[in-house]
Amino acid sequence: MSQDSKTIDRRSVLGGMATLSVTGLTLPLWAKSSFAASKGGTLRVSVNRAPGRLNPLLQRLNSEYVLGELLYSGLTRLGKGMEVVPDLAESWTSNGDLTEWTFKLRSNAKFHNGNPVTAKDVVVCLTAILDKKTGSPGRRNLGPISGVSAGPGNTVIVKTSTGYGDLPSALAYTTAKIAPAEIVTGDFDRLSREAIGTGPFKLVSYEPDRLIVVEKNPDYFISEYPYLDRIEVMVFPDSSAEMAALVAGEVDLALEIPPADFKRISGASGVTGQRTPSGRFIDVVMANDRKPFNDHRVREALSLTLDRQAMIDFVAEGYGTPGNDSPINSAYRYYADAKQKTPDIKRAKALLAEAGYPNGIDLTMVASVKPGYRQTLAVTIREMAKAAGFNIKVETMAHATYLKQVWKKGDFYVGFYNMQPTEDALFKLLLTSDAAWNETRWNNKEFDGLVNAARTTTDTAKRQQLYGDAQKLMQKELPVLVPVFFDLLSANQNYVENYNLHPRGATFSLEKVSLGVGAPKR
Amino acid sequence: MSLQYIFKRLLYLIITALVVSALVFGITQILPANAATMLLGEYATADALVALEQKLGLDQPAYVQYWRWISGLLQGDLGTSLRSGLPVADTVFQALGRSLLLAAFALIAVVIIAIPLGVIAAVRRGKAADFGVSMISYIGISLPEFVLATLLLVWLTAPDIALFPASGYVPITENFTKGLWHIALPVITLAIVLTAHVMRMVRSEMADALHADYVLAARLRGLSTTTVLIRHALRNSMLPTITVLALDVGYLIGGIIVVEEIFAFPGIGRLLIVSIQERDLPMIQAGALVMAFTYALSNLLADLAYVYLDRRIQYD
Amino acid sequence: MCISIGVFNMTDFMSRLLRQPHGVVGLILLVVLAIEVILGPALAPYDPETFHYSSRLVGPTPEFLLGTDQFGRDILSRLLWGARTTVLLSLFATLIGAGIGGAIGILSGYLGGRIDEVIMRLVDALMAIPSLLFALLIITVLGPSGTNAVVAIGIAFSPGMARIARSVTLSVRTSDYVAAAVARGESPLWIMSREIAPNMLAPVIIEATIRVAFAIMLLATLSFLGLGSQPPAPEWGLMISEARAFMFRNAWTIVWPGLSIAMVAITFNLLGDALRDALNPKND
Repeated sequence: MSQDSKTIDRRSVLGGMATLSVTGLTLPLWAKSSFAASKGGTLRVSVNRAPGRLNPLLQRLNSEYVLGELLYSGLTRLGKGMEVVPDLAESWTSNGDLTEWTFKLRSNAKFHNGNPVTAKDVVVCLTAILDKKTGSPGRRNLGPISGVSAGPGNTVIVKTSTGYGDLPSALAYTTAKIAPAEIVTGDFDRLSREAIGTGPFKLVSYEPDRLIVVEKNPDYFISEYPYLDRIEVMVFPDSSAEMAALVAGEVDLALEIPPADFKRISGASGVTGQRTPSGRFIDVVMANDRKPFNDHRVREALSLTLDRQAMIDFVAEGYGTPGNDSPINSAYRYYADAKQKTPDIKRAKALLAEAGYPNGIDLTMVASVKPGYRQTLAVTIREMAKAAGFNIKVETMAHATYLKQVWKKGDFYVGFYNMQPTEDALFKLLLTSDAAWNETRWNNKEFDGLVNAARTTTDTAKRQQLYGDAQKLMQKELPVLVPVFFDLLSANQNYVENYNLHPRGATFSLEKVSLGVGAPKR
Repeated sequence: MSLQYIFKRLLYLIITALVVSALVFGITQILPANAATMLLGEYATADALVALEQKLGLDQPAYVQYWRWISGLLQGDLGTSLRSGLPVADTVFQALGRSLLLAAFALIAVVIIAIPLGVIAAVRRGKAADFGVSMISYIGISLPEFVLATLLLVWLTAPDIALFPASGYVPITENFTKGLWHIALPVITLAIVLTAHVMRMVRSEMADALHADYVLAARLRGLSTTTVLIRHALRNSMLPTITVLALDVGYLIGGIIVVEEIFAFPGIGRLLIVSIQERDLPMIQAGALVMAFTYALSNLLADLAYVYLDRRIQYD
Repeated sequence: MCISIGVFNMTDFMSRLLRQPHGVVGLILLVVLAIEVILGPALAPYDPETFHYSSRLVGPTPEFLLGTDQFGRDILSRLLWGARTTVLLSLFATLIGAGIGGAIGILSGYLGGRIDEVIMRLVDALMAIPSLLFALLIITVLGPSGTNAVVAIGIAFSPGMARIARSVTLSVRTSDYVAAAVARGESPLWIMSREIAPNMLAPVIIEATIRVAFAIMLLATLSFLGLGSQPPAPEWGLMISEARAFMFRNAWTIVWPGLSIAMVAITFNLLGDALRDALNPKND
């Protein structure tokens, strides 16, 4: 396929950045483009879910993160290759045991209301995110922060309860955005109607179910950006409608393309598809502490029924990579290569019999309806596992009901997660005994030890060893089954320049986008 | 018709609205998961949930919440959306306006197409034209909107044809032609289904009317066929047609929910579905109330029109 | 529009029904449908859930007469299996509606007075909620599933049925035989079930037949919206919903189930009309 040549090769990008060290590093500003991008114009971006929340501290959907990033800034950001790059903080250092970090703020950053950004704004916002009363989704994702305070000379000091080498990455979290202190403490609800940020764009209008318009912020702290004068974020809750609008040229950039449509869309005239392997994965969550999944042999038997290559076709229309029952894949920095698992129905049957189910086993698997991949995976697993004696009933559920009744509580369900910035972020989110969402209740002390040890060192080789062992342990013990990783897919008109699909799926960098030859005048 | 009658009907309208609002409120109270769960999503922790529920007032007893809502309503305040934090009234009425536009175009199409076709079928009863009209109307009433809409999408928006935009919405005030272009498919879908309904009714009522004594009498008096048709038969068959049209407004509302969902049209139907998914109570309340009220009001108007057209009917 | 006939004469009724062209067509379609419902699974060439890995989204071929869906499942087999779910669930939904609505209508009409007034106001209010919206709310409470969709549609149908039942009740309540039963000292329950209810047979059957068509469409719509039957069930509305993402790659995945739904709805619409004409004494 011709489109594939336009795909960014993630491995080579990662290889290039492996030499970067995390601590105390000031990266150069973004590498200059090799050509002069033209300025001005209006870009129409489409998203597939209504962004219900404008308040950057409270956002939780990709369509909301787009707005958060257009209108606000955080301390740090994630670059193309998952490396940490400066945002409001121009540089950072830490003490020797990685428990105290000092972030130096830019001197030229101003809010949309004209006020300069101070250390106080940062302290207030980070504190608000960590305060459970705020209800910020980012509360458990920023790392083991024990205190935030203003330091001398426009610096912010962040202390952590244990050594935490990944703090700058963690602070790039999508909801860790900075708004004026007086509004966050005084009139927090105002942020759900207005946007007073430091981002490259300012809010013009906000109709969450239809259209959000932003215009260039002439005072943006990186004077080169943004290139565009205006961005219109168009909301399509229906992907077929969104795709038709893209093909018809009404949309310039669609941030997400359903796998089923990618081939057709990227082949349409004037449209370019982008594809990047990502750590976004779908998994089979099993309660490791309850029957029947507390028996390792049942989990292994199920794992052995999965034809992962065929699954990529069914679930991701071929746009994915096979999983190996660890949520870390080659998109992450410390991925440890392992032999690809293949189905073995005979052995699966034998294991199931050994575990006490010679005549098969009846199970009910829950799949939320959002996103649709969950149901597809459940139906596929039901069919694949039949041969080994698994009789799986699929129970689909509205997402609200799923969140309330099944997620983190159920015995057997389909999970779906975005790529996380680091291995640590992922393990501490899902798999360690103290993970924020310890849904498998695997509670493996050896695994916890490996992850904790990797936190307190910046020695790359040592971390590779520790994270490698952690992945091997997962593949052997099978706390979850990870059959498929998704590639991220987007598409844009050929005249859209400098949009690079980011593997994390929640970072967009639209300030760097420009319109080239052939762009319609709007 | 007496003022008293109108007054009584208006009173019923208000009672209906109250019952609907209480019922919808009751249903929303027993929904699994609430707005706080949805707002926090996978990031919900027990303490964050409690804090957010307090902030949104969801921790109070149901009757307190209902009373607060009703008293707000009486002061013309529909509350604030739990999801977006925007005023409910603005959002709901904006969405309603768009849906009404959709409905208006569909109804205009229905009146232009369905009534003449129904009349033709009745006059040429048993002939080819009648057969054709009947066939079309059977197909029309038997195709659910979502099937029709999806088929129209497949055929008319296919990449190599792209006759119409698949969705989206451009305000007519912003760009008239583009606005029309964008609402074409939803309007066509609604119009086809509605036309089938109305055509059937006009045909059967018209056929009855053509056999009525006064029409025969008029014919005997030597009046031309056209005069008889328009002056006598059509007028009399308009009465039941109006009732059907009013009843079809209820049908239209159901259709609008589906059509808006499929064509991603930001009207009241889609607002309601999204609000239900997100458990945005004030929005669900207002949306359902507005829909029920629209329906009840159109029934009332139909009744009044009925009385106006046929003075012989007496109302107590 | 109230039709009340006392006794039901089957032969007479059938001959009336067959005198009308739409009655004949409706009956033929009904027989075809019955065969599909009863023998569908036996006639299906494949298991409706079996994946055919190498034949995904193919058009009609000799191997797969109507083509395959996104999992390579045979569409014909799924339609044949699905007929049972789709048709039977719709019949159940209508029965529930007729049952609940009929009971409420008789009760309201028989008791009369204040109680009747209150019940009818409530019924009016319920009728002011469009069926789809009503069903949507109920399912959100009960959770999405085929069974719950049936319950929701049944409840949503009952106000309309109640109206019809009430009007029949009002018209026979003053009749001699009811008066006689009251004089005999029969219990109200006996009077309602033995004297009044049989009168409702004709109008309720007509209404119910047309309602079945509506129930099929509503059920499919709910499944389409993700609120009815759940995957991997071969329910027709759900099939369309699942196939939407693939509609430009194999339009047959939409067309076949869409046609099936329309055919069933047409069957019941034709029958409903024919029944109305056949049972309407005006047409003698």
